[in-house]
Amino acid sequence: MSNTCKISKLVTFLVLLLFTVSIPITAHSKDKIVIGAARPLSGYAAFYEANAFGPIYKMWVDEVNAKGGIYVKQYKKKLPIELKIYDNKSDIGTTTRLMEKLILQDKVDFILPPASTAFLFAAAGVANKHKYILIGAEGGATTAEKQLDKMPYLFMVLNYSNHYQCPVLADIYADLGVKSVAIIYVDDLHGIEYQGVGSNEFMSKGIEVKMIKGIPMDAKDASHLLKEAKNLNVDALVSFTYPELDFLITSQLMELGINFKSILFGPGANFEVYRATFGDKVIEGVMGEGAWNEKSSKAHKDFVERYLKRYKRETLDWWGHNVYYAGCQVLEQAIEKAGTLNQKKIRDIIATQKFDTILGKTYFKNQLLARECYAGQIGQWQNGVFEVIDPGKKRTAKPIYPKPDFPKK
Amino acid sequence: MITTILDILIAGLLMGGIYAIIAVGLSLQYGVARVFNVSHGEFIMLGAFGTWILFTAFGINPLISLVMCAPVLFLLGFYIHKTIFRTLLRSSKIIEIFESKSMLVAFGLMYIIQNIAILVWGSDIKGYSYLNSPVNIAGAVFPANRLVTLLFALLIGAVFYLFLSRTRMGKAIRASAQDPAAAGLMGVNINQVLALCFGFGALMAGFAGTLLSLCFPIKATMGMEYTIIAIIIVTLGGLGSIVGSFIGGFILGIISSLVSYIEPSLTLVAYYVIFILMLLIKPKGIMGK
Repeated sequence: MSNTCKISKLVTFLVLLLFTVSIPITAHSKDKIVIGAARPLSGYAAFYEANAFGPIYKMWVDEVNAKGGIYVKQYKKKLPIELKIYDNKSDIGTTTRLMEKLILQDKVDFILPPASTAFLFAAAGVANKHKYILIGAEGGATTAEKQLDKMPYLFMVLNYSNHYQCPVLADIYADLGVKSVAIIYVDDLHGIEYQGVGSNEFMSKGIEVKMIKGIPMDAKDASHLLKEAKNLNVDALVSFTYPELDFLITSQLMELGINFKSILFGPGANFEVYRATFGDKVIEGVMGEGAWNEKSSKAHKDFVERYLKRYKRETLDWWGHNVYYAGCQVLEQAIEKAGTLNQKKIRDIIATQKFDTILGKTYFKNQLLARECYAGQIGQWQNGVFEVIDPGKKRTAKPIYPKPDFPKK
Repeated sequence: MITTILDILIAGLLMGGIYAIIAVGLSLQYGVARVFNVSHGEFIMLGAFGTWILFTAFGINPLISLVMCAPVLFLLGFYIHKTIFRTLLRSSKIIEIFESKSMLVAFGLMYIIQNIAILVWGSDIKGYSYLNSPVNIAGAVFPANRLVTLLFALLIGAVFYLFLSRTRMGKAIRASAQDPAAAGLMGVNINQVLALCFGFGALMAGFAGTLLSLCFPIKATMGMEYTIIAIIIVTLGGLGSIVGSFIGGFILGIISSLVSYIEPSLTLVAYYVIFILMLLIKPKGIMGK
């Protein structure tokens, strides 16, 4: 046998040996947890990345990494989190494609949700197909509740129409003596559901629904609807609309000199940017969906302090920020409890156990965040604070009724 | 009943004024410069944000911003054409190739401008209050800022119409729109005229952005919806026709007001129905030749 032949055999042996030895090493060594998401960094839904879940998941990751990471018993160490975020361009098709890429190609350990109801449920289909846990953030829908048993890996944290915002709003209105309402709703799944659930709840409390009118998402003029509602002499205007429409309608109410004893806006009025845009005097008494604030608990106060060290106040969301953060904490604690990154084991823990989060004891019932966990359902701007006005213990201030007039220029 | 009709009509005219200004810019850019500028809405967005910054940071009256933001956008548009589109024009053997290449470049511009805007101003909705008091016209109530918007839209349109019809440069632009080759033979500096037209398109977008910011919330991603509206109006009014864009803008404004009174959810549907009908019945538009 020639020397060359001996050397090549030796090299082959060493390569094979190295390969064999390296397999178990690779399988058991892990130095980070990679979490991926397809988020709206651009396009019409980019607002939510800037003001809703976006700031929260980044803050959570930084806070976890500052502690050294999440302890995973299987690896006997803390693993820091690495984020892999793609821009879904506010497009559902792009979102599902990117989710598949994250799971199949990038092989991320966990995924975070996209923004808004329709995106969430499109993403939930992908997540469940690949048996990846998906704890929702922005979005939730009554009609989707029926799908939850087919989507065991989906958990929803945000409150919505029948869960339990409209029933609470109807209770508040009944207590305040509201006799009649006009409903404007954005003509998509969100608006249609809210007007359906809302009108049933109002009628069940003896409140007359005098007007129900849809409005397109990109409407440039709501004046006809506002004048019609005014002519019907209703006590309350309930506008189940998105932020851009909320801003437009608020401006038009002022411009037309129209006011109601109560005005509530859908997602929009709960954002601090709404206050920053119009100022405290304009929005005094305006109600919104939500709700929580620094008075809700010490944990909430601490959360706001930590948040404001990183971000501007204008990016705070008094509806979702606390539950989004709690959703992240649930994932973190479930991983630690499971001691592994196995999705099924972690999923079962999330579905059945209780967690200590910013909300206090936090748990899911039928994959929905339990009612008791929420800090509030309906808020109202009072002196620059989005007060919780739900009847009961969680109320942070009594509702103002009737709403004061918009300030005159 | 009369109040209701007045309500619908005036609300339509108020919207129509803004729509007209939006469309005039695109009409010039496509009708004369032959650039199907799908980034037109991004220039509108820049005008709106410029006004918002001047108002919120420096307290400058938005009506003064009209003459501050739009000229900056004119220069931006002019130099974009002089650098990017002129290079494309030189490398294109026939105008159809230039049109398709320039549309792709415009798509690129749209994404670049929009993403820079998101980086600079974020994705938040912005707004400010200006002249937000009610004005009563024969029993129908309208916001003062929309009335001001209509007045300025009409004024800008009239000045621009006079510029096109009375000045030497205006005549050169019209000649280039009708027959660029013949205009060139008559001594018109075609390259300069095309760059000017693109710049004037951006100028109009700047005016529109300022006027829009008076009445509506603004955001970095607002451009595309206004580009679509501009395309519909240009199709309705006739390519390259300033008068056509104004007529188209007011027609669309009144139709949108009427539909939004009857069933607001169908407003966008009405836009597209008009667009399709116009393409089928009179593809060159109301004032198209």
